Amino acid sequence: MLDVTLTHLATLGSSAAASTAPIQTGSAVASTMHVVAATGVAVVPTVFEGAANTVAVIVLLLEFMMLRTALFRAQIRLYAFQSLAVSVLAVVVAAGRDIPELYVLAVVSLLLKVIIVPRVMLRFLRDSRAEIAGSGALGVASEIILALVVAGFGFFTVGALGIQSPVLPTAALGLSFAVVLVSFVLMIVRRDVVSQAVGFFSLENGVSLASLVVAAGLPLILEVAFLFDLLVAVVVFGVLIRVHQTRSSSLSTVSLNRLRG
Amino acid sequence: MNVVLLLIVVLPLLAIAVGLVVGRRVTQLVTGLSGIATFGLAMALIPGVGGHEIGHRVSAIGILRADSLSVVFVLATSFLYAATAIYSVGYLAAEARLAERLGGDEAAEFARYSRRFYVGMNIFAWSMLCAPLVNGLALLWVAIEITTVVSALLVAIDNTEGATEAAWKYVLIASSGLGIALLATIVMYYAGAQAMGQSYDLAFDPLIQSAHDLPATPVRLAFVLAVVGFGTKVGLFPVHTWLPDAHAEAPTPVSALLSGSLLAVSFYAILRFYQVALARLGPAFPQNVLLVFGVLSLLLAALYVIDQNDIKRLLAYSSVEHMGILAIGVSFGAPLALTGVLLHVLAHAAAKGNAFMGAGVLVRAYGTKSLTTIRGGLDRLPWSGPLFLIAILALSAFPPFGIFRSEFEIVAGGLQASRHTGAVILVALVTLAFMGLGLATTRILFHSSHPDSSTHPDDIPAHDDDGQAVDVRATRPRTTLVPPHNSNNPDTDTVLSGVAAATATSVRVTSARGLFAAHPAGARQPGERVSAAADDPNERLVDEMARTSSGRGEPSIWMVIPPVVGVLILLVLGVHPPAALVELLEHGAALLVGGAQ
Amino acid sequence: MTATLPLPATQALQVLTIAIGAPGISGVIARVEARLQGRVGPRILQPYYDLAKLFRKEALAPAGVGPFFLLAPIFSLACYLTVPMLIPVLTSYPLPLGYMGDILGGGFILALASFVVAVAAAETGNPYAQLASSRAKTFGAITEPVVLLVVFSVALVTTTDLPYALSATVLSGPDQIVRPAHLLASAALFMVILFETGRIPIETHTGTIEFGMIEEGRSFEHSGPHLALLRWGSAAKQMVLYTILINVFIAPWGLSSTTRVDQIAFAIFAFLGKCAVLGCVVAVIDDSFAKLRLLKITEFVAAAFLLAVLGVFTLYLGGG
Repeated sequence: MLDVTLTHLATLGSSAAASTAPIQTGSAVASTMHVVAATGVAVVPTVFEGAANTVAVIVLLLEFMMLRTALFRAQIRLYAFQSLAVSVLAVVVAAGRDIPELYVLAVVSLLLKVIIVPRVMLRFLRDSRAEIAGSGALGVASEIILALVVAGFGFFTVGALGIQSPVLPTAALGLSFAVVLVSFVLMIVRRDVVSQAVGFFSLENGVSLASLVVAAGLPLILEVAFLFDLLVAVVVFGVLIRVHQTRSSSLSTVSLNRLRG
Repeated sequence: MNVVLLLIVVLPLLAIAVGLVVGRRVTQLVTGLSGIATFGLAMALIPGVGGHEIGHRVSAIGILRADSLSVVFVLATSFLYAATAIYSVGYLAAEARLAERLGGDEAAEFARYSRRFYVGMNIFAWSMLCAPLVNGLALLWVAIEITTVVSALLVAIDNTEGATEAAWKYVLIASSGLGIALLATIVMYYAGAQAMGQSYDLAFDPLIQSAHDLPATPVRLAFVLAVVGFGTKVGLFPVHTWLPDAHAEAPTPVSALLSGSLLAVSFYAILRFYQVALARLGPAFPQNVLLVFGVLSLLLAALYVIDQNDIKRLLAYSSVEHMGILAIGVSFGAPLALTGVLLHVLAHAAAKGNAFMGAGVLVRAYGTKSLTTIRGGLDRLPWSGPLFLIAILALSAFPPFGIFRSEFEIVAGGLQASRHTGAVILVALVTLAFMGLGLATTRILFHSSHPDSSTHPDDIPAHDDDGQAVDVRATRPRTTLVPPHNSNNPDTDTVLSGVAAATATSVRVTSARGLFAAHPAGARQPGERVSAAADDPNERLVDEMARTSSGRGEPSIWMVIPPVVGVLILLVLGVHPPAALVELLEHGAALLVGGAQ
Repeated sequence: MTATLPLPATQALQVLTIAIGAPGISGVIARVEARLQGRVGPRILQPYYDLAKLFRKEALAPAGVGPFFLLAPIFSLACYLTVPMLIPVLTSYPLPLGYMGDILGGGFILALASFVVAVAAAETGNPYAQLASSRAKTFGAITEPVVLLVVFSVALVTTTDLPYALSATVLSGPDQIVRPAHLLASAALFMVILFETGRIPIETHTGTIEFGMIEEGRSFEHSGPHLALLRWGSAAKQMVLYTILINVFIAPWGLSSTTRVDQIAFAIFAFLGKCAVLGCVVAVIDDSFAKLRLLKITEFVAAAFLLAVLGVFTLYLGGG
């Protein structure tokens, strides 16, 4: 199919009786594309890599959506979706690279991060009357642009390091660092405990993403230990959220400004 | 030896289990015993590890491993574990007496509080003991993450406004830092996997042995991420912000553990990454990274120490300062400096533990953490006052205490390694910090307990007709204002506190030398007191203490013993460290000089 | 062997398809939208009747406007109908005039049309029209970077900025479709199209007079044939944008790869069908979201910008 198209491009480009410049452009196109087609995968990522990268991009996009979400529950739901995306990526890697351990990891992380952690968080929020988080310290558009700059920094820094992984494309590693950095932005600009906590949890998602790229062979027991550590942290976060809420009867962190100097 | 290793890890677990099932008194006893036993076992490790060739290690059940480097940190942690376990007996005594007298809800509430406190403290100590003893970067990360979550709950345990805020900041910042540290661990795994294949578990020995085959860039990345990540918990410069809050708002025994032990254990994690980075990248890169972070932390801490109004924050910034010294000391790279660094870990644990415990007594006695209010500590507290002074002098590296020796070694090592600029900066900034500490200490210990009316016109209520009336007026509002820990029975509380206050007043009046003449209320601005008192549990404890203590002003003998031991240890470390210990430190330093053997 | 169609005729057919099909697509959207709201809705052919009626009416112009006001509708429609020559509407191979301009050229022509309409609206004294044209330009300025970034990612993928080249690339296999850069650029472009065609969540499309109008407000003072031309023009613009999205980005299947008549006839129907499907999607979006407050439009554009930038980022890292 491509070849047919390309011959068309070439023949039509050279036979068209128009001015000279477009002809040159056209044949240049055709020749470049022939080169691409000939060298193959060097430029175009494979379907597996593309799919993996797309899932990684979705993780990052969900992180960006957290910057904007105004409702506490929606925030937690976004986290659940993000964790789901990470679990899906684990399955993709397990299937594509034939690492059966990752299926187990995907299941454990699905159970923990998609089901248990959001439930625990929602339970801690159940008593709260507040549903809408206050806005962040910046406007949404500025936050997005700030986060973009930060994400770009993460992207290109990691890209420049030239860390190659046999499992996943480097872009996914850059994306995971971007997720980590954007989660920092989230924790910094949002002024409510739920968003800050979710920021930390999603930071962990970013690290999970990175570990899928560079440490897919990490012994399962360690991965699971990390995950359970996260669960403990979630409970502690929840307890502290509740303590904060009973003390200040709000979920905002604006009042947390007593300790300075 | 591996039995010893196992025991160190198991004993605190027993204390946790005991704390969960039985009451406070038994738990106190078991915790104290567990602390002392752990310290003893850790000392038994000194010849067991240090007495052999460099790099000798002991291991048990596959995941435990101790070499001379780990033992140093186990020593520091176990000493503070024992010290704070004993100190806590006195720390909780006043509340315990109050709760006993009040009975009912109040007693149940206190029982819950003390159970949480002891279980939390034991888990905290256990995780900090595990961190240097586990074999592998991954397990190390897990152990340090546990220290974070447990200590965050301990910081929040007092349930005051400040404690809640501090705990939230702490858990958020430290967890994020550990997220970065996890990234470092994973990147290090990646580096290791390039040399050793996919299925190794980040254990130290294979990693360091094959360090030369690791790819350089990931190791570099992992090291920087580790310094930033674990550095968050160490309290290095840009990510230290949680530290003063948490140290100031936590209960005093927890502050002592946080400062003397937790920071050091996190620094231990950095040292492990440093070992790998050193073996792969050579000395220049990792040392420069540590030097930058160290100098910035030291500078910041020295400046904050000078202008500080809260006694516990003062000590917290001093911790940042000392962590900066450690980082700079490692960056010098000379064996002498590294020996100094490891000695510094021990001496700092003892000195900072002492300082916090002394500060805890001062805070208890005066009911405030404000440096402008605490006055005349030497008169008031015949033991704790001088002990606090000694601790501060020790922290400021006065001879003949341990920190003098360790800092001397660090500076000498720096000069030896021709790091003149670094050494000069170190000395200058340490002097600056000493000035801050010295000024504050002089004020709170030596200045008269009766501030003259020209400077503090509002401080002392006018003695119009007689002192007793004034005292009652000054005392009662405070006791009635302050809610106890979640008390839901304000009426009884008010009445009983009134009784307590009246008793306290009579003590004051009858006390011949007027030990309580500088009564807590007297030295405080009235307005400030009401606001500060609003949820400070210390306030009512002051009264309780005033009611029950007799004679000289020490709140409890248990709050004096650990600092005395600490001072003895500081003296031993400073004057003549035991040969076995010196050998251990030198072996540890050797590990950091050339990576592995 | 069936008959073949000469290339110039195919080219003319591309323009005619857009010109004649455009009101029909608007009709489909209006119909689906009404059905989703539980109404019967207008006939699909209603826009044609509307245009016919308007053409029969008298043209009025506000006092004091220049000839520009009267020329603008014709000019803009001409612009909108020039673009179909540059993009693959019916054929997957470039037609003779296809290299006259690249994606940027097409973008410029579209922008020129919109500029002319805005200037014409500004010539009247009507505050609605002026407000609408000023808003259109303001928000147009912030969508511009998004469009540029989409073009960049196309350029990075194909090493050209010719729509035909990208279309061919997408056709070449699934690996070109699942790459994140492609998906992100397509999504960003879709958001831009929602913005450009004045759909919810940017503005309501039902012609009610309200303060938030942008697209609708600009034709406020035109009447009769002029208004008809503007309506027709905006329908054509909508269809041109749909064509770019469908035939260049997301679904370039069903295009004729030869000059045979039957293939081209099939391509016309396939194309109209694809546009109708996309129109249904837009109608569903129209019915499921609320209109954004005016100042929240920047957030919408920021989201599109984010997608486009991420697309370019992933490409630069080589993994996109």
